[in-house]
Amino acid sequence: MSIFSSVSPNSMPNRVLPVLGLLALALVWLLELGVIQPNRIVPGTGHGLWSAVGGAGAGLVSLILAGCVVLSLLPVRRRYLPLLALVGLSLALLPLLLEVFAGRHLPEDAPYARSSIGAGFWCLLFLLSLMLIEILGRLGSGRGLQLLILAVISGSWLWFLRSDGLESLSLVREFNARPDKFEQAFWTHMALAFGAVGISACLAFLLALKMIRSVVWRRPILGAVSFLQTIPSLAVFGLLIAPLSALAAAFPALQAIGIRGIGWAPALLALVAYSLLPMVRNTFVALTEVPESLADAGRGMGMNERQLFFKLKLPLALPVMVEGVRITTIQAIGLTAVAALIGAGGFGSFIFQGLGQAAMDLVLLGALPTIALALLADALLTMLAAILKPTPATA
Amino acid sequence: MRIWLPPVLLTALLCALSAGMPVLEPLFQWVQPDKQNVIYERESFLFLLQNHLMLVVISALVGTVAAVAGGIFATRPSGRDFLPLVSQIASIGQTFPPVAVLALAVPVLGFGEAPILVALILYGLLPILRNTLAGLEGVDATVRQAALGMGMSSFQVLLQVELPLAGRVILAGIRTSVTINIATAAIGSTIGARTLGDPVIAGLVNGNTAYVLQGAILIGLLALTVDSLFEAAERVWDRRFLPQTAG
Repeated sequence: MSIFSSVSPNSMPNRVLPVLGLLALALVWLLELGVIQPNRIVPGTGHGLWSAVGGAGAGLVSLILAGCVVLSLLPVRRRYLPLLALVGLSLALLPLLLEVFAGRHLPEDAPYARSSIGAGFWCLLFLLSLMLIEILGRLGSGRGLQLLILAVISGSWLWFLRSDGLESLSLVREFNARPDKFEQAFWTHMALAFGAVGISACLAFLLALKMIRSVVWRRPILGAVSFLQTIPSLAVFGLLIAPLSALAAAFPALQAIGIRGIGWAPALLALVAYSLLPMVRNTFVALTEVPESLADAGRGMGMNERQLFFKLKLPLALPVMVEGVRITTIQAIGLTAVAALIGAGGFGSFIFQGLGQAAMDLVLLGALPTIALALLADALLTMLAAILKPTPATA
Repeated sequence: MRIWLPPVLLTALLCALSAGMPVLEPLFQWVQPDKQNVIYERESFLFLLQNHLMLVVISALVGTVAAVAGGIFATRPSGRDFLPLVSQIASIGQTFPPVAVLALAVPVLGFGEAPILVALILYGLLPILRNTLAGLEGVDATVRQAALGMGMSSFQVLLQVELPLAGRVILAGIRTSVTINIATAAIGSTIGARTLGDPVIAGLVNGNTAYVLQGAILIGLLALTVDSLFEAAERVWDRRFLPQTAG
């Protein structure tokens, strides 16, 4: 422990939450909460908190934020649980603000009019999330509680987004205009990202075994995979076009199964190439760092090398390997979005289409699910690694 | 001086290729026989390279200053309350895909160089912040105590003991950040920044593989050049501060 670290038990006043709460209070009043647009492209008129949700709504929002600030300053031991309830409930019911806003301001007789989310709302969402993270950290809460809160909040958001009250929200409009395409983009995105992770996991396992068996191969393999990781994604996608089109031109059979200069084939190849570095590094480190004393103990118990590998080394290495899978998956989900530039589909196609048409809500329709997928993969795989970590009693 | 040979060679190659791309016209004509124009001419490659580098350098400088300042604040006694949150932000923030961050900057800031710069700074400071925290937290408490015992003020301890000891880890964070930002800046072409991604995007739109190749080769070369510079800088650092492990 550092000599500077001041011990801060839970009964001490918290300084982080007041800062976040006051910042949220200031920004939600200063910035526009929502925007009403006459149609898809024309810039709309913004509404501040008071104008957007009326005096009662603005009062309620301010009261909740002020309540959080006051509560976090009280030197009471058990104040984090009510704080958790307050902030968690606010986050879950945040879409209600948009619903009230749309109900108050959307003109009845304009079918193309739409409401969109303003900077103030985003700031409120961001700062409340930070407060939630801080409270969960202070509570030292278990994974079960965290998962429950995440499920309640995202469930409530999905319910609000599907309800009639938010039908005018531009994001919902963009989705309703293309539900099939959205579903297709979702599956394409998943197939490309997880396909690449699966293939690279198998390849990386073989490469790591090769590195363990022969020392000579260590430097060349690690050098090659980190070289691949250094090249920017756009360049890799671009460089693969020419060779793959040449290949497709030379072998029509390949063309028949969809291997061309653009499309899923170069995307998958590039994604696999990118995934190799974290995967190989973590698998190699995981398998080589099993303490020799444990292997000796296993040998003493009469295990042969095969049993030693499958019953001892692999289970011990698994958490670190899952960590590699986590890094790779997050990276692959992000890069799949870039792969839309070479026609691979996925959520990236909405992003780049929206950028091309200057339709910002279409951009959001691509960007938000990509972020949500990455966050979800991160949460689930972190949890998996924690579950797989052998406890001292079973190790 | 052998350390600096790869970056110097790569820089020379990068500049030569940016300036002399038209010389390779026959080669690209062979790649793309059905197009009249096989050399990207809307902007000069040197201009695009310069602009690309400028975006990356500015974002790296601002990001480094902000991240190191934030890291120092969160590890001081006065800011320690914020340490758990700051390190959570640094790790959760990196879960956000760079493209999505880039895309989200457009509705807020519009098209052009401003949103990409903001996205590059915000995204680029996360790895530096994480490494700054790791580096400063990794400084042995006894070393700090010894420095304090020698009569140094806590500011002197920070400047002369903690930062030099954490520097190597911070440098590695900057390297990660710059590598990501070179790639993200290339994608920035889609939101109207003039970078080496331009020829790639133009080539993809017009079905001109020669343009795509020219952009891709230069982007790749730029990334390798900058990475080799960091490699050399890290080696020099190791040789200077860790004599027992150098060699």
